[in-house]
Amino acid sequence: MDFSPNPDQIALNSALDKLAENFKTPPTDFRRFALLDNSLDQALENGGFFEAANIPELGPVSAAMMVETLARLPYTAEVALSMLVRPQLEGDWPRPLALVENGRPGRFVAEAATLIILDGDQVGLLSAPAGATVKVESLFAYPMGKTKEQLAFTPLDNTQASRIRTWLRVALSAEVAGLLQSALDAATEHLRLRKQFGRPLGSFQAVQHRMAECAVLTRGVRLLALQAAWSGDAGDAAVAALHAQESASRAVYDLHQFMGAMGMTLEFPLHLWTYRLKALLSELNGRSAQAHAVSEYCFLDNSEKSDD
Amino acid sequence: MEFQWNKEQQAFRATVREFLDRHLPDNWERIAHGPGSTAQSHFSRQFCANLAAAGLLVPHWPQRWGGQDADAWSAFILAEEMWAAGEPRGGQYMNVNWIGPTLMRFGSEAQQRRYIPPMAQGETLWCQGFSEPEAGSDLASLRTKAERNQDQYCINGQKIWTSYAAEAETCFLLARTGSGKKGISIFLVPMDTPGITVVEIPSLIGEGDIHEVFFENVMVPASAMLGEEGQAWDIVRTALSLERVGIPRFALASRMLRRAIAMLKQRNDFHHGAVTQAARAHAACEAARLFSYEIIDQRQKGNTVGAEASVARVATVNAERMVAEYVVEHLPEALAGGDPLLLAHHQRGIVAGIASGAAEIQLNLIATQLLQLPREPR
Ligand SMILES: Cc1cc2nc3c(=O)[nH]c(=O)nc-3n(C[C@H](O)[C@H](O)[C@H](O)COP(=O)(O)OP(=O)(O)OC[C@H]3O[C@@H](n4cnc5c(N)ncnc54)[C@H](O)[C@@H]3O)c2cc1C
Repeated sequence: MDFSPNPDQIALNSALDKLAENFKTPPTDFRRFALLDNSLDQALENGGFFEAANIPELGPVSAAMMVETLARLPYTAEVALSMLVRPQLEGDWPRPLALVENGRPGRFVAEAATLIILDGDQVGLLSAPAGATVKVESLFAYPMGKTKEQLAFTPLDNTQASRIRTWLRVALSAEVAGLLQSALDAATEHLRLRKQFGRPLGSFQAVQHRMAECAVLTRGVRLLALQAAWSGDAGDAAVAALHAQESASRAVYDLHQFMGAMGMTLEFPLHLWTYRLKALLSELNGRSAQAHAVSEYCFLDNSEKSDD
Repeated sequence: MEFQWNKEQQAFRATVREFLDRHLPDNWERIAHGPGSTAQSHFSRQFCANLAAAGLLVPHWPQRWGGQDADAWSAFILAEEMWAAGEPRGGQYMNVNWIGPTLMRFGSEAQQRRYIPPMAQGETLWCQGFSEPEAGSDLASLRTKAERNQDQYCINGQKIWTSYAAEAETCFLLARTGSGKKGISIFLVPMDTPGITVVEIPSLIGEGDIHEVFFENVMVPASAMLGEEGQAWDIVRTALSLERVGIPRFALASRMLRRAIAMLKQRNDFHHGAVTQAARAHAACEAARLFSYEIIDQRQKGNTVGAEASVARVATVNAERMVAEYVVEHLPEALAGGDPLLLAHHQRGIVAGIASGAAEIQLNLIATQLLQLPREPR
């Protein structure tokens, strides 16, 4: 056990932090649902950040740390699937990637070069056919899109399919961890500054305890996501994704609540994180599907001592 | 980063498990119910002596005091395995974790020579005399008084919720020698000193667990004081920082969750809500486990641990509660003559947020120290 990044991972993290610095502040006149900047994607491409998972000294855990860091930014780009799922695919699939789940609208579907199709129990991979997708307006603070009609695909074999599901879960948890952290930070900052009844709102214990609970959830999601990225184990990934969706659904309401009416405006960028979290809540069939995956992978044998 | 045990750690865990397999009798899980009971206390004395003989009681202590200078991970692996087995060390886990190390740091030579060897040999039980009827979370308001009279102190007052008091030989006692936080001192008091009365409190949480302890003109020599007069607060803070993560409660919770699932599967009752809730509880146990490991990792690297310890405790309380509630909902017979260790877990689980400090205090610390929200005005 060692919870500190190795020197290569530290170097990568600080290079990424430097890059992220340019994308930390939304434009002052920002009043929209999604905040995109292609130069973020470009900078990540140019810096070779998408290749980290394949470098032995770095590995997928490094990619997960990057996904978490980038998810904290107000700007978004298709990062999680490219960094964590793409390196696990057989063959070379171009990015960006998007998930098409049972025909529903999904993140980055209209921009994606590669589509991962989840249809019931089946998983497929497709190069996005030209003209097959459209953009969709939404509250979710991602660019959303959908396929115009159901796309034909050849289902992958079970091994590949479950590998993809595992890494989709890892990607989802790492992203949720970063989103939760930024939403928590934004609300914390507000609670330190906003005064009512002659004192900062953050000094009321009723508020403090709910915020502290959110902090516990957020940190838990991060650790579980990193563990799952490190091990690539299907059980670890299911646990991480379950805890991520569970925590997101518990935290998002409170974090908005503590912003008062200000949190309902597009001027205050909290929605960039909370509405992304809401988009992630329904992915991979939502919490109960993760719970069943946990059961499938973690409760298989009847041993009481599989905790080592 | 690495999320796996190395070879030595795996071997050490295997050694501990082998020891447990060999030394826990068939009826152990019935004995485990009632951690402070006479039956368990007697069992624990023999068990701890055997542990000591096998070098598994205090491996993380310095060699000088019978240990092997083992690292923080070994100590934690040992604690996990013991707690997951129903804590066969009984109250002696306190000696191992913090009372012994505190005496090594602050005790006089005479105190060390008198008290540490029996701890290292697994022959002695202590109790912790902190809480009082009017001083629970607000421990600094304690009233038990120790008045100096030449070479002696005369102690009067009352402690409450004292675990293991009926069976313990010695009390790690906090008493007031002045006013305010700086007016509290520690006394190492033999429990057979005249003037001490112990009364068991019948409870939901197992036989012989909690007690009232009355002190009426209890005379102890000045040499029974640990450290200096008024030093209690500093010493206790250091002592409890040795216990930062506290008991690895997630280990038993996790094991009992697995047991519950196996029982439900066996009678073909593991469906729908039972599956979802089990998965959620399992995830909560896993989060608590990683938080605790994160702190051990910090300790192992010699870093100070702040409010992260509170995060670990809150996560542990959540996990305990989820597993305890899971069992109540899906296997209610556990509380009515069913599996004794499921019952014992329930009884230990429900106190997780209270014993050794209320969870709300931990939430206060997370809010003010980790999130740096402003303190509540007092
Ligand atoms: C099984 C068990 C074993 C124990 N063993 C020992 C022992 O061996 N030795 C010993 O000295 N003590 C022992 N204790 C006592 C334990 O340390 C106290 O119960 C604990 O410190 C809380 O004190 P209290 O019970 O007086 O609760 P109180 O201080 O009366 O608090 C009651 C509740 O109020 C809330 N609360 C309190 N303060 C705050 C606050 N600042 N902010 C928000 N909410 C708050 C919390 O929910 C708390 O649980 C034991 C307790 C249990 C349950």
